[in-house]
Amino acid sequence: MAEVKTAKFKKASSQAVSDPKLQNTLEHVMGHFIEARAGAIEEFGDESWDQMRERASSIKKHALENLDYYLDLIDRTIQKNGGHVHFAKDTQEANRIVLDIAKKAEAKRVIKSKSMVSEEMGLNKALEKAGIEPVETDLGEYIIQLADEPPFHIIAPAMHKTKQEVSELFQDWLRTAPTQDIKQLCIIARDALREKFSTADIGVSGANFVVAETGTVVLVTNEGNGRMTTSTPKIHIAVSGIEKVLPAIEDVGLFLRLLPRSATGQRITSYNTFVSGPKFSTDEDGPEEFHLIMVDNGRLNLMRDPEFREALKCIRCGACLNTCPIYRKVGGHSYGWVYPGPIGAVITPVLTNIKQSKDLPYASTLCGACRDVCPVKIDIPKLLLKLRHMAVEGDSSQRSVSWIERLMIGQWRKTVSTRSSIERATNLARFLQVVVTKKGIIRNLPLPLISGWTKSRDFPALAPKSFAQLWQEKFSEETDG
Amino acid sequence: MVEKETKTDKSDFLQLVREAIGRKTPLLYAPDYPPLKSNYTRQQEKVRTITAKNLARKSKILDQLIENASFAGWNVHRVSDHESAAEKIGEIAASVKAKLAVRTTETILKSVNVDGALRSKKVTPVVLASGRYRSKSDLKEVAFKADLGISGVSFAIAETASCVLIPRKGVARLTSLAPPVFVAIVQADQVLENLDDYFAMVRLQFQKTRGRYPNYTNFVSGPSRTADIEQTLTIGVHGPGIVHMVLVG
Ligand code: SF4
Repeated sequence: MAEVKTAKFKKASSQAVSDPKLQNTLEHVMGHFIEARAGAIEEFGDESWDQMRERASSIKKHALENLDYYLDLIDRTIQKNGGHVHFAKDTQEANRIVLDIAKKAEAKRVIKSKSMVSEEMGLNKALEKAGIEPVETDLGEYIIQLADEPPFHIIAPAMHKTKQEVSELFQDWLRTAPTQDIKQLCIIARDALREKFSTADIGVSGANFVVAETGTVVLVTNEGNGRMTTSTPKIHIAVSGIEKVLPAIEDVGLFLRLLPRSATGQRITSYNTFVSGPKFSTDEDGPEEFHLIMVDNGRLNLMRDPEFREALKCIRCGACLNTCPIYRKVGGHSYGWVYPGPIGAVITPVLTNIKQSKDLPYASTLCGACRDVCPVKIDIPKLLLKLRHMAVEGDSSQRSVSWIERLMIGQWRKTVSTRSSIERATNLARFLQVVVTKKGIIRNLPLPLISGWTKSRDFPALAPKSFAQLWQEKFSEETDG
Repeated sequence: MVEKETKTDKSDFLQLVREAIGRKTPLLYAPDYPPLKSNYTRQQEKVRTITAKNLARKSKILDQLIENASFAGWNVHRVSDHESAAEKIGEIAASVKAKLAVRTTETILKSVNVDGALRSKKVTPVVLASGRYRSKSDLKEVAFKADLGISGVSFAIAETASCVLIPRKGVARLTSLAPPVFVAIVQADQVLENLDDYFAMVRLQFQKTRGRYPNYTNFVSGPSRTADIEQTLTIGVHGPGIVHMVLVG
């Protein structure tokens, strides 16, 4: 399994909030994501978008409640299609399945398209140890592979890297000339990876959805590396969490409407790839072997609890990260494992180690914004509260709360003293959920973060926008007077 | 070196899943899930209704496709017949200064004489089909060398500006993927209104063939793109950065 550094959450987030370059990037990129998403869902109107989310949520609920049946169906269907399905209890087992396939094929090089589950597995390290070269081919993943870092964001793994840094990485690893031209950087990566595509023995992909009825792995991509990975090598291995199941092929349309809009604000991504097995013997090209590895790795611990089971509905769109006031300050690496942000704060403790990850459930103001954007309507704040109850006894909870409060307020002070921009202060006040007066005095509102978690259960969700308005009203009161 | 085989058995695994759900034994019947329930006849009926709807709304749907495709980054060319389609493709090839073009052998490419049009622009047309190459890597090499890929589509979806490509004999996966420029020839009667229309048809076909449905399908819904560096949209990473849709009819 990928190294778990969740115990360092406090230290890592303190560093992140006082890193001005990172703060700039986060503000810029997150704003972009939120805007794009809002634009993309507009065409449906609030009501029908909400109905779509409701439907998606109930489809996932049904799939999870009958998961044993659907996993069996997937196995039978894919076998019939000429492929193989493997079930792995943990990441060790999943890695071994990949390595066994690789050894049998005498593979030397594996190309990968983006897969969060393979990040969980630490698959690249496992392959390297076995003397096999793993090559990430998603541009963002490629960059962080060169930098030897975990993904910063579920769908934008290298968003924290500047073009300057990318150029330096390419200079070091590919001996290319320095350039600040992003298009040129893409071409460098394209050329470097072309060679890998044409020589790799195995392609490893993730799975955005696995359709039980037809035994189909659905990939949602933009660059074309997902298509390459499933086209050029002679073996394709897809790794998936067991929760990615959709029962019917006719469920796919709805999820293809929800996922890209929530993730990148696109109506659809450039490519959707549907793989149900190896190439037919009459096909011109494509892998002769197809394997699907369905990985548990702690997901059944979520499944066992009817409330936490909800977290398994997640389709990894990243919208909750983008909207989360804490993620937007502490960034992706602070969370210390594979999944950052609100959903990461929920599932990481359960998938890894609750004790070690006890600070993660406090990485939230419980403002409810994550729940409001989630395309499958996961009530993340509720689950975070539940984790807080589970992870701590008495005092330490209060300590953690006041810790994140202090961290954020410290950040706020700095912001106001260095930049008086209303916009920035508004953002901060919004996530701190405090009212700011002209003299820089903070007046607490009886809101979850400040008043501690015990009372927060009944507190109504606070939409970020309306709070901003509220704050602005207060602000103008103060300044007018 | 022999490693101990500790692979989790499927039935053990499913039993763990079951217990986590809170059930002791497998389901006796398939779960009650409407989208899985409708039988072949009912699905046929459903698809018939869809087809009739799309026929009645044909010109609207075509307009929608053109609008959405342009928005998604396709260069859309509407032509009235096969001859002008071929001519258009020749022009596209010339405009990107192509030397080598790869194509599929679909029926539409028998009607649209792209080879002639390409040759008249001094572009060499090559069919990308493994029978013609000594090995798979030769096919890859040609595909990676080509400046232009040309193929028909199985469907187009107006809602998402998607071309549905299903590889098979004569239709290599790499034709629409490896060259930097891709041209899709779409016939007006292949255009569906939305994603749900398409998946209803897939299901019917799946039922009809008793599961012998193609193992691989791609939607191509615009140029290859990335925003992985500084959230700046860049076109043409691993797939074609320039995509043309030649809509016939
Ligand atoms: S929890 Fe919801 S919003 Fe967050 S990544 Fe998962 S699906 Fe997206």
